[in-house]
Order: sequence, then C-alpha cells, then structure tokens
Amino acid sequence: MIVAILLLIPFLAATFMVVATPTRQARVVALASTLMTLVFTGWLCFAYQGDPVIAVDSDWVPAWGLRLVMGYDGIGLLMILLTALVFPFIIGAGFGERLQHPSLVNALLLYTQAFLLGVFTAQNALLFYIFYELALLPVFFLLLYWGGERRRGITVRFFMYTLLGGLSLLFGILYCMVQEGGFNGDFSALAALDLPLDTQIWLFWVLFLAFAIKLPIFPFHGWQPDTYSMAPVQGTMVLAAVMLKMGLYGILRLVFPIVPEGAAYWQNTVIILSLIGAIYGGVIAFRQWDLKRLIAYSSLSHVGLLCAGLFAWNGYAVTGSLYQAFAHAIMVVGLLYLTGALRERVGSTEMGAMGGLKARTPRLAALFLLVMVNAIALPFTQGFIGEWLMFAGIWQLNGWMAFGAVTTIVLGAIYMLYAYQRVMLGEDKWQLEMDDATLRDHLVLVPLIAVTFILGVYPAPILNLINGPVQQLITAIPMLP
Amino acid sequence: MSALILISILGVLMLYAGLMAPRKVLAPLGIIGLLAALFLLRSGWNVNTEFFGHMVQFDGFGLVFSEALILLTVLLFVFGVDYYARLHENVAEQYALMLFSLVGAIMLTSYQHLLILFLGIEILSIPLYILAGGKRDSFRSGEAAFKYFVQGSFASGFFLLGIALLYGSCASFDLAVIQAYASAPIPGTEMLFLLGLFFTIAGLSFKVAAVPFHFWSPDVYEGSPTLVTAFMSTVVKTAAFAAFYRLIQYMDLPKALDMMLVVMTWLTLFLGNIVALRQSQFKRLMAYSGIAHTGFLLLAFLGRDPLTPSVLFFYTVTYSIATVGLFVVLTLAKRAAKGDENIRIFKGLFRSSPWLAIVTMLLLLSLAGIPLTAGFVAKYRVFLIGIESGFLKTTAFAVLMALVGIYYYVIVIREAFTPRDKGPQLVVSPLNWLVISFCGIAVMLLGLFPGLLHL
Repeated sequence: MIVAILLLIPFLAATFMVVATPTRQARVVALASTLMTLVFTGWLCFAYQGDPVIAVDSDWVPAWGLRLVMGYDGIGLLMILLTALVFPFIIGAGFGERLQHPSLVNALLLYTQAFLLGVFTAQNALLFYIFYELALLPVFFLLLYWGGERRRGITVRFFMYTLLGGLSLLFGILYCMVQEGGFNGDFSALAALDLPLDTQIWLFWVLFLAFAIKLPIFPFHGWQPDTYSMAPVQGTMVLAAVMLKMGLYGILRLVFPIVPEGAAYWQNTVIILSLIGAIYGGVIAFRQWDLKRLIAYSSLSHVGLLCAGLFAWNGYAVTGSLYQAFAHAIMVVGLLYLTGALRERVGSTEMGAMGGLKARTPRLAALFLLVMVNAIALPFTQGFIGEWLMFAGIWQLNGWMAFGAVTTIVLGAIYMLYAYQRVMLGEDKWQLEMDDATLRDHLVLVPLIAVTFILGVYPAPILNLINGPVQQLITAIPMLP
Repeated sequence: MSALILISILGVLMLYAGLMAPRKVLAPLGIIGLLAALFLLRSGWNVNTEFFGHMVQFDGFGLVFSEALILLTVLLFVFGVDYYARLHENVAEQYALMLFSLVGAIMLTSYQHLLILFLGIEILSIPLYILAGGKRDSFRSGEAAFKYFVQGSFASGFFLLGIALLYGSCASFDLAVIQAYASAPIPGTEMLFLLGLFFTIAGLSFKVAAVPFHFWSPDVYEGSPTLVTAFMSTVVKTAAFAAFYRLIQYMDLPKALDMMLVVMTWLTLFLGNIVALRQSQFKRLMAYSGIAHTGFLLLAFLGRDPLTPSVLFFYTVTYSIATVGLFVVLTLAKRAAKGDENIRIFKGLFRSSPWLAIVTMLLLLSLAGIPLTAGFVAKYRVFLIGIESGFLKTTAFAVLMALVGIYYYVIVIREAFTPRDKGPQLVVSPLNWLVISFCGIAVMLLGLFPGLLHL
C-alpha cells in the first residue's frame, strides 16, 4: 500500500496534467507533486527499520507467471530517495525553459518518475523489466518532440540501443524463470537458483548487457553523448541523474544474485572495461567545446568508476559506489541546471561563446564553482566520500586498478577546472549584457549545494541506510572463486 | 453449427438486401446477424458437439476462435460503413463475400476431417480472390486479385496432393486417425505420410504467409482495398493459424518436418523483419510485419506445449486488434494525403489530431511488444514457451528479431510525433473514431489485465 501511494502520486499528477492540460500552472502542479513524493519518501526513510519491506505481494496473472511484488530495502530506499530528491529540481529547472506544451513536458517527467520508482520498488524480475522499459518511453517522447536539431536519428538510436539491452534482459529473465520451474520471477526465487557455471558464463552477459548499455560502460556507450547533448536539459537531467542509476541497481538486484559465479568469472574484464571507459571519457571530456557534451563525457567517466566499484565487490567499494551514485545525481543536476542557465544568458552551450563571464555574473560563477567542487571530489563534499570509499575498495582488489581509478579523479579535476576557466575566467570577450544569478537560480542550486556539503561532512544517514543490505549481499554472495 | 448456417444465410440475405433495401441498412444488418451468430455460439459453450459424422467438432478451441473471428468481422463492418460510403455500387456484394469468407474461416477453426479443412480453405479463399480485386478501375487491385488467385490455387493444389498422400498412407481423412498413425506409422508408408504432411503443411503455410510461401502477401496487401487487406491480415490469418495448429496439435511430427518447422521459423522471422526495415509504403510495411508476426507465432508452435493454444489465441487476437486499428488510421491518413501510402503521411499527426496519434502509438507499440500493451504479454508468452520447450537458440534469434521489429514501428511513431510541420487535418467519422478508440483501449486493457482474454 505504501509503495502504491509512492507510485500513484506522480502517476496521478501526470495523468491529471494530460487530461486537464493546465498551461500556466503545469509546473506548479508538477512541483507540488514531486515535493509530496519527497516528503513521503522522507517519512519512509524515517520509518525504515533496517529490514526489507514487502509492501505488495499479489498475483497478476498467476498461470502466466505474472506477479505483483513490490517492496524495498536499504539500497532500494537509497534509490527511491535519490529519485524523489532530484525530481523537484528537474521540474524546477523547467521554469526557465520555454518549451511548447509545458503540461505535457511535465506530465512526461512525472510519468518517468512514477516508472522509475516502480523500477526501484519492484521485487519481481518481470515487473522490474516492465517498469524498466516503461521508464524509457516518456524520455523517448521527450527527446523526440522537444529535443535539439538532430534529434530524429539520435532518439531512435538511443531507443534501439536501450531496447537491445532490454530485450536481452527479458530473454535472460525468462530463461531464469523457466529454470526456476514455477514461472516465478521473484527476486528471492531467482536468487535461490543454482545454475551451472557454463550457463552462468553466458547468462551473465545476457543479463548484464542491459545495464552495461544503460549505464553506459565502454564499449556500449555509442548512444550516450549525442543523446545527452540533443535532449532538452530536463531530459538529460533525468537520464544522467536517475536513469543510469537503474543500471547500477539492476546489477545489484539481477546480476550478482542470479549469476554470482558468472560475475566472478567476468569480474576483471568488467572492471577493466569500466576503467577504460572512465579514463577515455575523462580524456574526451577535456577536448569538448560544448558544455553539454562535456557533461556527457564526464558522466561516462564517473559511471565507469561506479561500475568498477560495484564489481570490486567488497564492502568499501560497493558502499562507495552507491554513495557516489547519489552524489553524482546531485552534481549532474546542478551542472546541467547551470548549463541551462548559461544558455539562457548566452544563447548557446558552446564554451567558445562564453569566457570571462565571472565579471558580469559573480554570483553565478560562485554557484558554478560550488557545484563543481563536488564533481572533482574535493574533501567535505559528497563526491570525496564516495570516491574515497571506492578507491579503498578497489585497492583491496588490485593496486593497478586502483591506480587507474585514481587517474580518473585527476582527469576529472583537469577537465572541470579547464571548463570553468573557459566559461568564467579570462577576459570578457563578447561583452554580453546579462543578469546575474536570479532568485530561481539560487532556489535550485543552493539546496543542491547544501545537500552536497552536509552529506559530505556527515554521511552517516546514507551510509547507515545502505550498510546493512550491502553487507548482507556481500556475505551472501562470496564472489572470489 | 447453427451459427455457421446463420452466417451463410446472412450472406445470401445481404445480397438480396443489396438489391432491395437502401444501402444504409447493409452494415447494421450484417452486424446484427453476426451478433446473433455470436449468441448462438455462446449457447453452445462447453458443449463439445460433433457434426457430419465427426467431420466438424465445435470444441473449446474452435468456439473461442470462432467468436474472435466474428467479433473481428463486426469491427471491420463498423469500419466498412464509412469505408464503403464512397463506393457507388456493389456494396452488398462486398459484405456478403466477407461473410462467406468468414464461414470458411469458422470451418477452419473447428474441422476434424481434412476434407472440411480443404473446403474451409476454399470457402475462405474464393471470396477473397474477388474481394482483392474489389477496386475494379485500379490496376494494382486487379494485379493483387490475379496474383492471389494464381498463387492461392497453386497452394490449394499442393494441399490437395498432400491430403491425397495422407489418405494413401492412413486410409482416412479423419484427424484422429492420422494422429494415431503418426504415433505408430505402418512400416513402408512413412515416406508417403511424410510427403503428404509436408504438402499439407506447405499449403497451410501459404495461408499464414510463412517464408518461403509468403511471396503473395506484400503485393496482395498493397493492391487490395484497405478494408480487405485488414480482413486478410486479421480474420484470415487468425483462422489459418487455428487450422494449422489444429492439424499438428496432437501429432508426433516426423523428425524432418519438425526440422522444417524450425527452419521456417528462422526464415520467416529473419525475412519478415529485415525486409520490413526497407519499406516506406505503410501497407507493404504491414505485410512484412505480418510475416514477421507469423514467425513469432510459429515459434509458439514448435514446442506444442499445453499452453500453446491459449498463447496462439491471445497473440492472434491482440495482433488483429492492433492491425485493424492501424488500417483504419491508414485509411483516414491516406484520404487526407490524396491516396499516398508512404509512411510520411503520418507526419505531424500528433499536432493535428492528438488522440489519433496516441492510439496509433499504442497500436504500434503493441505490435512492437512494448510493456503494458497487449503485444508485450503476447510476445512474452511466446518467448516463454519457446524457452520452456527447449528452443533456446531459436528464441534468442526471435528476441533479436523483435528488436529489429521495434525499429520499423518506432520509425512510424517518429513520423507521427515529429513536430514543427502540422500534418493534414484528418476527417474522422464517429464510427471510425469508435473503432480506433476501441482498438487502442482494448490493446491497453489486455496489456494491463491479460487475464481477460484466455482460453
């Protein structure tokens, strides 16, 4: 019931918006709905006792193995919290955008939120898959209708890439359901499967492909930079802040429990691929001239690290990876909001069209810097804690891999500071007239920065949330052969 | 049985009504008659009745398919009111021919004897040859009719040869006897039996448009009047699949034929999906997508699982509903575009008529098999059956081809939702609106509550 309410708040708000199509109040209604979800999630976090909660458990079509099982544990709750926390800012960012049909844009965003919450609460593999695919649809239309110039080809490419993974995942889930015997796709039932090693070796990729594309890790990232830069700012926020976390979450829920030996078999391969992607993303980000593309590649870099942390599969690394996932969401929303704010003022996201803006917009420059320190993982920010935990974890596994991981943070600092330099510092080349940070900019960015620093100094609330389940997972699934 | 007789009489009645009554009453007459037939079928529910000395058997399988076929025809008749409003003459003949064809279709779902199967196929097909040529002044329509007729006759020839050979080996046309023979063949006649079954299956494969017996389908679909195309791709296809499955349901197929079915599944999946990628004419796209769906249905055949009939039923019905809706939308868009059938004509549909665009999207997503539409449940169950019966590689290939399939449906969706240039304003009559909305809502409802439709 609790979970149902959680999903219904955004879903009903979105449906209301589609039916009534308020134009002026659309954003306000959407914001109110997301804030309600946030408050409700906050209450869930307070009420959470540390044991997994199964809130809904009923049959949908029993004969066909379709079941509705929903609930959450600490990890799920972290993802729910992340979704609930980020969406008000995504909606808030829309106040500055001048998009056609604001009610539809907001409805699509809220549908996405509802489906994402569905992904994070589903406790049945098929239900998970259904929400996983559904979450894609609103974003697809958001891109197709409101995207940038070259959106037609790019949107379809993005859709096909994601569905390639999705269908592969479906095949894997169905295979497991048949092996299980009773067509029961509950996570608990699938985790109890004991598949032979040679099956696990191929099944690993069947299941993992979906998440590898969603994240994306190298070399499955072909869709990502173009999609991020063509999508409207809010769409990119959804993609980068929340949707890619579905990948991490899916790996934890479906890959490790079902094919532990397969995961152990491919562990090094995946970590190395992730690190290659992380370094590659960092190097390319340095060469970008467009802020949105830079964020896209920086996201690729960060995600590679997250995936490497997850596959290192020890307490430090997994906790760090999840913590950093949270940090990354906050950071990327901030950065993308700033991109939108700059485009509003300059008319473009090209860094060549900027430069020396600090003289005209000192407050915006300060906000930019504060958001950025999280991205480069300075101490006392969330990013520092997440990355430090991950390094510690990866180090336990292999010193060279840890070295690769540390390289990415250095690269991160380089490309971020270089971007800041090109946007804000230097001489005021273009002499544009522009406003400094407005009240709206402060309302969005200051809370994000506050979260960053509070959780950077005092990470205990989040760590307590995920510690228990992570330890359970790691002890239940010993990875190393 | 009484339903069958009623529909036959209804067809004759329709011809007379065409001479005497005003045109307005034709479609309502047909619809009322069909609903009466449905009622008669309902009253025979759960009564496993045989007719003509075990030649026709109305069992659960036959009844449920017959009902679906009648309902689909009703849907098409409702669409027909507007579709035939512009036609000047011979409207009654069109309805009557469809009714006769439906009689054949119902026979196909409930035969127990190969002669009835053959009669069913012929009764189904001959009206279709005429219907395909329904637009008398259109060159392409004539071409479609001729191609369909020639290739259809060819398939009938194959089929007749097949059942003759079967008779040669089993000394009976009765399905039960043939099935018994298949489990314990008389030594020395296996080759005869194998060839007979091979030709029979080839004849049926022609009707379901499985590769390599699919060549007629794109041309015929493209040339025929849209309503007839819709009839062919829904009612005819569903009936043909029911007939096909009825034949092999309880039969231990010889190894070679099992192998042939697997190969056919691969070829059909591959060719249907890959060639559909290259289509820009919407009707040809639907023809190849129809071939692709035949491939998925064949996959459900391979295992002959106890659940296959229910999967078959769910799949064909949901596919048919989506197809009917899309053909209605196509007709409207084609009119607005003055006869063009390129998928371009859907451009800007969302801006000119949002509701139509949303339904079109739902129907296409259902055909593509995206979650929460009926098509997803259908595909999911086909894959599940494929894996369960051990056809792992074939299922994996089908999943891959489903991905290819999604691409060409999404391209059409993309046209409909591409903004900036507003599409032409479509004129939607209330009845057409009803049909389209019904299809859209049905596809959603069956996706959310798949239990509504079960065997």
